[in-house]
Amino acid sequence: MEPSQENVVQAVVIMDLFKNNFSPINKTKPMAKHISRTCNFRALLSVAGVPLIDYVLESLGLGGVGETILFCCQDGPKIKEHIKTSKEKKSPWSLTMDVQVIMSDTCQTMGDVMREIDAAGLVRGYFVLLGVNSITNVNFATLLEEHKLTCKKDKEAAMTLIYKRVSWEHPLIKNNKPLFLAADGNTNKVLIHEKTRSNNNTLQLPLDCILSHSEAKLHHNLVDANIALCSPSVLPLFADNFDFQTRDDFVNGVLINEEILASSLYYKILKENQYAAAITNWKTYQIVSWDILHNWVYPLSIETGSFFQNNYIFMENHNFRKITSKLSRSCTLVEDVLIGADTEIYDNTTITKTMIDSLIENGTIIAENVNKNEGSKLKGAVIECSEQDKNDKNLVKSTSESGTEWENESDGSGDDEFVGFDKVWSDSESCYSSDSSAQSSLPESPVPEDTNIFLQEVIDSLARGYEEKLKCDYLILEINSSRYAYNIQLHEVNFFVIRAMLSIPILVDSKSVLVTVKDILKFFRPILSNYIKTKSSIMDCLRAVEESCIKCDWLEGKAGQILHLLYETDVVDEDSLVEWYDDLKDNESPLINQTSLVKFFEWLQEASEESEESE
Amino acid sequence: MPPSEGPGKELDAKCEELIVKYVSDIRSGKLEGSLNIAMSTVSLLEQIISDSQNPTALWMDVQILVTRNLKNGSTDLDDYWHSELCSTIRAVGRQILRALPQELAATNMVRRVLRAIRDEQPSNANQSGEGAGESLQRLVLAPHSRAAPADNKDLIEPVRDFIAELRGELDSSTQSVCGQAREHVHADELVLTYGASRLAERFLRAAAPRRYRLLLAESSDVKESHAMAARLSAAGVNVTLVSAAAVTALMSRVNKVVLCVRAALGGGAALGGAGAHAVTLAAHHYSVPVLALAPLYKLSPLHACEQHHFNVPDSAHSALPYLSSESALARVVAPRYDFIPPNHITLFITNLGGSSPSYVYRLLSELYDPSDYQL
Repeated sequence: MEPSQENVVQAVVIMDLFKNNFSPINKTKPMAKHISRTCNFRALLSVAGVPLIDYVLESLGLGGVGETILFCCQDGPKIKEHIKTSKEKKSPWSLTMDVQVIMSDTCQTMGDVMREIDAAGLVRGYFVLLGVNSITNVNFATLLEEHKLTCKKDKEAAMTLIYKRVSWEHPLIKNNKPLFLAADGNTNKVLIHEKTRSNNNTLQLPLDCILSHSEAKLHHNLVDANIALCSPSVLPLFADNFDFQTRDDFVNGVLINEEILASSLYYKILKENQYAAAITNWKTYQIVSWDILHNWVYPLSIETGSFFQNNYIFMENHNFRKITSKLSRSCTLVEDVLIGADTEIYDNTTITKTMIDSLIENGTIIAENVNKNEGSKLKGAVIECSEQDKNDKNLVKSTSESGTEWENESDGSGDDEFVGFDKVWSDSESCYSSDSSAQSSLPESPVPEDTNIFLQEVIDSLARGYEEKLKCDYLILEINSSRYAYNIQLHEVNFFVIRAMLSIPILVDSKSVLVTVKDILKFFRPILSNYIKTKSSIMDCLRAVEESCIKCDWLEGKAGQILHLLYETDVVDEDSLVEWYDDLKDNESPLINQTSLVKFFEWLQEASEESEESE
Repeated sequence: MPPSEGPGKELDAKCEELIVKYVSDIRSGKLEGSLNIAMSTVSLLEQIISDSQNPTALWMDVQILVTRNLKNGSTDLDDYWHSELCSTIRAVGRQILRALPQELAATNMVRRVLRAIRDEQPSNANQSGEGAGESLQRLVLAPHSRAAPADNKDLIEPVRDFIAELRGELDSSTQSVCGQAREHVHADELVLTYGASRLAERFLRAAAPRRYRLLLAESSDVKESHAMAARLSAAGVNVTLVSAAAVTALMSRVNKVVLCVRAALGGGAALGGAGAHAVTLAAHHYSVPVLALAPLYKLSPLHACEQHHFNVPDSAHSALPYLSSESALARVVAPRYDFIPPNHITLFITNLGGSSPSYVYRLLSELYDPSDYQL
């Protein structure tokens, strides 16, 4: 290792978010051909007409970074190709910065990436860690120097987190998980880092953190830019604690086990004239796009990545258009419009707050036949066009209340997508928000990874318990420990326990399923009574039965009998059954017409009438 | 010479690299101030010229061949070489112009160097005195440099001399502008200036012995203005710092306005920092003389109609803090420059002395070749 290399600032860019917040575009886009398009991948997703990766590289280059490691988990070759073409075009960063593309298909989380980097020994010392979704104009080199100074004062300093302070009403705060941060006022050492739920208005502050520090700062209006300055100790920490999956895991883990891990965290708030934000979902995508258009991120701009060749014509009201675009004389650009290359805007079109971005030859065409009869207005929309088709596509006004809606009326092979946004920020969670708590009723088909594993584990435990006739108390313990390992909510546990009971492998091979089910229920009676106690847990139980009967072949047509068994063992009561049955009707579940179920409820009705009569 | 011949030359890779580096230095803020930018432009051009001086072996062969065959070959060859060099420099100028439309000093330097190369062109030598824009300067200074046009080994030498001269001029420009300070600022006068600028600070400091009083109006960069006020006050100038909003109210008492402009334009207009127009408008209303400090490198042969050079948006931070809740909704218009019409300016102070706005066109024709106005 040469001594001159020691001073080179290294940066690690993680090219994937490991979330599917952008799933509509990054999933349905065809993998083929277009390199500069969004493809399947976030890094080439363009923001204000420029691929995300170009912003990141540009800001790293301007920020004094000498060597960059791009870690790709998907689509590595495309990134590599993109880097190569940028180098050939002599992008400004290519002169001062060495870019290395690392590919690995096995990494599923950010933690895996860090462990991989640690194993490969790519990083020499202090480094900058950022995601590909960070848009910033900070000087990384000076920030890293500051972090080194902090490390001199506190040998245990592992990471400095970078935040941008904004107003509390700012949409960047509303559309991310709110962050609450408490820190030592003198040293900027982070004491509490909490990503709270938006509906939770209370904050809990341990007395300890006030008493043991002469001054404590509390922040509630910070935007996490997904940028961190790391000490060499960060990578080994990730390697040692293989349960760290995300940066938040790392932050929380370090804060909870500060003494054990012998490391601490610091934070830094950027100066007023520096900008930093991370694109985490479509809402933030839109905000950051406007910020770029409004020149908040100077020197990064819509010119980024094109060697400052000023290919845009600046018109009034923050309207920009590429030189090669064609505008009809009668079209009106109201404000904040970006029109990409080779785009044609026809007569009588009115465009407001829209980025029409098409870097492909034939481009997007907003045809006049739509606009003539409708006088339609595009409001706050992002139009992406991936196929070279000249078909007129009808863009119908589509701003729905809930935030996002898809319209695709193009005829034939067109792969055009239109994502509309409601311009007014609604308080309701948008469907791309990263919260998974939205699954209130039935968990729909793509069950999250963790819960799948949890279900499998519960099935295993129960099967073993049933075969070896173990004590149910032990099984409850086992289930509970898996529950904590995968961070499963209580109502989900209820659901999955029932689900698991009805999916034990013995059932699959059994000749008389019902007898076995009866036997199983009898055996697991203590477990059932442990979990299924309250009204809501009974509903969970019934939903589990519903899903099991839909998904498992061996239970086909036997929903009524299973309910009958549950009813007889007093696991479920009559009121809940009736309520659930009404729910089924409302949801038009496929179960509703099953004869066994219908018969069971008829029987239930009769039974209750009889009992009433006898009274 | 045709004003713009075709799409321009392709630059070689090394040249491109130099330009990219230069441009990104300026964009990232490593190079600041029009004087520094002008200096680095000159260095860039010098490098490119000396690179192009070592032509390939093939070119040498051609040269030898042609010199043998043609009796007056040297003149033709020189001509060829010169026009090649011209188009290279022009291509560089175009690149810079597209990348940095707001930095007028950079393209001015390109025009100056182009002029020098054209002056050395042998075919042009006979025509001297013919063109309408022929300068006094050239008539006085130029003739002896053309004494030996046949000396084809030293083709580059005059250009290099000129670049050295140009550099000397840039170096001394601040000094020569400030040297005139005492002629314009008199004792007991109340002078107003707007915003912070290095040149204005030097100028006002040079006038310090006159015991004048200074009103310094804060520009959008408040911190810089305060720092400048503190430095001037330390240098013995009686400084009062005022808000830019108060300028109109104070103007009736002011004797003179001193402004450092970003560029002097063809028609005698000027580009000042954002907010300068309000100051000159007030001065115009009260008929207060406005002195615009414009060293020669700030003289641009552009006219007010070439808007895309002037409508450069600045970072929105300069107008509104991001911390405010409006930042996400508001459309911030933060221009970098203000256009100051010619009738608001009394005198441009250049290296060569004061000149009225109506004389700027003459200065321009002395500095640049008319065919280079449009790069």
